[in-house]
Amino acid sequence: MLRLRGVSKTFGGLRAVQGVSLEVQPGEILAVIGPNGAGKSTLLNLISGLLSADSGRIEFLGQDLTHAAPEVRAWRGLGRAFQIVQPFPEMSVRENLMVGALYGTPGTSVQAARKVVERVLELSGLAGKAQHPAGELSLLEDKRLELARALATQPKLLLLDEVMAGLRPAEAQDAVRLVRSIRDSGVSVLFIEHLMPVVRALADRVVVLDYGQVIAEGRYAEVAENPKVREAYLGRGA
Amino acid sequence: MELLLQTLLNGMLSAGVYALVASGLALAVGVVGIVNFAHGEFLMIGAFISYLLFASRGIDPLVSLGVAAVAVFLIGAITYYGLIRPVLSAPELNQMLLTFGLSVLLQNLALLLFGADTRVVSPPYQGSTLSLGGLSFGGVPLAAFVLSVLILLGLYWFLGRTRLGLAVRAVAQNRLAPGLLGIETQRVYLLAFGLSAALAGVAGVMLSVMLYASPTVGFAFTLKAFAIVVMAGLGNLRGVLWAALILALAEALVSTYVPGGGGWVEAVFFLVIFGTLTWRSWRRA
Repeated sequence: MLRLRGVSKTFGGLRAVQGVSLEVQPGEILAVIGPNGAGKSTLLNLISGLLSADSGRIEFLGQDLTHAAPEVRAWRGLGRAFQIVQPFPEMSVRENLMVGALYGTPGTSVQAARKVVERVLELSGLAGKAQHPAGELSLLEDKRLELARALATQPKLLLLDEVMAGLRPAEAQDAVRLVRSIRDSGVSVLFIEHLMPVVRALADRVVVLDYGQVIAEGRYAEVAENPKVREAYLGRGA
Repeated sequence: MELLLQTLLNGMLSAGVYALVASGLALAVGVVGIVNFAHGEFLMIGAFISYLLFASRGIDPLVSLGVAAVAVFLIGAITYYGLIRPVLSAPELNQMLLTFGLSVLLQNLALLLFGADTRVVSPPYQGSTLSLGGLSFGGVPLAAFVLSVLILLGLYWFLGRTRLGLAVRAVAQNRLAPGLLGIETQRVYLLAFGLSAALAGVAGVMLSVMLYASPTVGFAFTLKAFAIVVMAGLGNLRGVLWAALILALAEALVSTYVPGGGGWVEAVFFLVIFGTLTWRSWRRA
């Protein structure tokens, strides 16, 4: 459903992403991993439209979105959650979700949006905090809200940027279950993650980036055995 | 005692228009993120629209309110589109220099077109007064106060209860998320800046009757609006109401009780700015 062909992005002299091609199939959970500075976040920004690619092509559901504005990509069905949460701090949790539900899909009525919000509140375990100001949540609740708000836009593909970072192992397990249930409801997932246990538990397929290039691709077990990947993670000459 | 009550009453009545002008500035600062030194010039344009309509066609300022609201909204939107949007990601200093330049440009344009004279719109009810229990109200200031309160209530309703208002609040509270959630941020900026200008324009119509229209009438209001917005906390709309009230009351008290107080009135705003900023930095330290 998502297809990248030779996508590149350069900052000054730094080639952050070089000729990346990858695909996400419907119903799939794809992990993008790689050492720090490998270009993972840049890649996610190129897909969600916060950055515009210098060259290459980004297609989603058969449409060319290479240079589309972020809101257009959101309308087509791309949802995004950040590692550093981006709430609307002076709104309640429910209002935060309402923004996603009302604007994520053009033509959504207020009534329909309210229904989506209630469903997402239940799914994300935030129902008890619905009236709470978003600026006064715990870290775990912050993360849930970030994910829930992306879900409220009713995405077809969810882009997750290290959403598990900073969670305790038990909390991360809950989050893994939540992401699985999201997939089971028919949403594909592309996620960036540093925690290898999470990658192993969640990913159907793994793409490894190093210095902005794809160096390996396949199932977790295959990729983990790949000498190039081991080198990238452990350091050259190790 | 009566003098004190009368002073407080006068202060309260002028707080309405101050709040109107400052709420507009708070929208520009809080939603669009632009420190707009030309805010008072939108007010000046509103005042001249009122004057021109009254002088040429005898149109009542109450009618001009609507005309000015629409016209100044459009001028604000065009300003946003042509001048502000290209510098949105420029350093703040550049943005401020741009709006400051726009302010000077508009003042001089008005000077060229209308001359430096002050022009007052004087409908038949201009001098009307009402008295109640020994206190006297100017009919026009009272009407301006009531209208300001109604317009501000409308603004709060829009921001708090409508779909579009939700998007405006979202853009004000986070720069990154709104686009990714499907909000057309550029349109929201355009709307917010237009509304910001329109609020100043409407205040200008009221001031064309209470004060006068002149090329430089807006400048003092830019400064007052800044004082109020700083005191309220940047972009905090609800705080604007309190700050406007406090400043207007302080101004009224100074002009009544300080000998030669009229000349000190302008200083009140700046004392309050200094006081607020100093107090905040102490509290933080």
